Amino acid sequence: MTTCDLCDRPAIYHDVRIVNNVHNTTHLCAEHALEAGVNLGPIDLSVVFSTIEETLEHTSAKACPDCGMTIAQYKKCSLLGCPTCYETFKEVLLPIINKVQNNNTQHVGRVPSQMSVDLNRHLQIRKLLKKLESAVSQEQYEQAATLRDQLRELHESDDHHEN
Amino acid sequence: MKINPEQNCPFNSDYAPFGDVVLSSRARLARNLEGFPFVNRSTTSDCMEVASLVSRICTQDDSPLSLEWIDMDELDEITSQMFVERHLISSHLAESTHPRAIAVGPELSRSVMVNEEDHIRIQSIRPGLQLQEVRDDVQKLDLSIEEVITYAFDEQFGFITACPTNLGTGARFSVMLHLPGLRIVKDLQRVHQASEGMSLAIRGYRGEGSGTIADLFQVSNQLTLGETEEHLCNILSDEFLPPVIEWERKARMRIAKEQPSKLDDQTFRAIGVLHNARILTPEEAMNCLGNIRLGICLDRITDIDIRTINRLMIDIHPGHLRWKYGKELSTDEINSRRSDLIREKLGA
Repeated sequence: MTTCDLCDRPAIYHDVRIVNNVHNTTHLCAEHALEAGVNLGPIDLSVVFSTIEETLEHTSAKACPDCGMTIAQYKKCSLLGCPTCYETFKEVLLPIINKVQNNNTQHVGRVPSQMSVDLNRHLQIRKLLKKLESAVSQEQYEQAATLRDQLRELHESDDHHEN
Repeated sequence: MKINPEQNCPFNSDYAPFGDVVLSSRARLARNLEGFPFVNRSTTSDCMEVASLVSRICTQDDSPLSLEWIDMDELDEITSQMFVERHLISSHLAESTHPRAIAVGPELSRSVMVNEEDHIRIQSIRPGLQLQEVRDDVQKLDLSIEEVITYAFDEQFGFITACPTNLGTGARFSVMLHLPGLRIVKDLQRVHQASEGMSLAIRGYRGEGSGTIADLFQVSNQLTLGETEEHLCNILSDEFLPPVIEWERKARMRIAKEQPSKLDDQTFRAIGVLHNARILTPEEAMNCLGNIRLGICLDRITDIDIRTINRLMIDIHPGHLRWKYGKELSTDEINSRRSDLIREKLGA
């Protein structure tokens, strides 16, 4: 596939001019063709599709901040990596959810009851441990000490709870 | 392991409403724990932590659930295969290698798979048309599990699952139907047409598409988001099934009236094969059992209990045969043991 002269995206506008027996060719992607003032005429479906693919390619480079999953990986295995993926890739996932759930995108069924005290503490510990790991690796020792104290407090309350 | 698969089977029960057409009803809920990646992105320690948290449902002193916790790595391969054949676990759970477990009711009708595609898959299976009952079973388990852990939940998408096809309620209700009448009168298309507009999926027994054995078909809801659990269950039990059961019964009556010789030939030929064969493949055995089942429902045979046939439809699978005969069997030996077991149970 021919790529755009100005970037690496696929070219959808091709211009060939012969002046004094010299061939001049220009290949532009949709965005650069519009920038150059080229009239692309009526909407060409292939352009729309390639634009969607492009959007997907751009999004696929984005990774979920919690689990590192990318859309390219999701497309391979059809499974997301964690709950945060739904927020991270909402733009791409909504049309898929629409399709598989017959245009339903709002839950109306049962809602869980309150979070248990035990698990809430457990989740806090996990979050603090992650932060502590990152603080130590970045040599932010003051922050690490504060986090360690917070963890100690949580562990103590855990012991107290168990007793 | 305290449970006894030989004695405990939901299909031993006398209670199987509409059991002539509906073999079994099943409900499943998919759930994930908040604060953990889904199983496919989990580390070994994540999986162990999830399993440890969920195991509390079995260790609580006052738990009314009476589930037995089984670490899948400690379950022998034959019992594991047998659990797959009983739909207590999926083959995916049986074949995976990461830390995973099953909590199972001693009656072997309720189970909680841990670290399958989702952290938790709650299931219940009962004989006949008992969709409301299996819905109650899984809801009770769901509420009890929720007391010890917190589910990943989103106000818009409901219970969050690894695959968007399970989002929302995470609920899948299904029935296994025996439809020989509609197949013989060539009216199965009517069932497919009835399911249109109800967002139901129809597939053959243990297969994709329309191909099946023994005229068994599984029907389940396709949607999980945008409808309540009750509505999803009711579409199947109150809207789809009543006319289908009636059509199947009418088709059977028509066959008995218009083609009695053909029906008797099919029924007694099947008995003849099962009484005399010394090697039976699962397909041949299942098809014969299906034909005998039709004969029993139409009173052409009165000395075989339909429950014997229903049990055999489970007990003749390789995992069950290997479990019963307690050793590694080759495919040829399994086919031979299958014929032995059927002759024994039919009193041949």
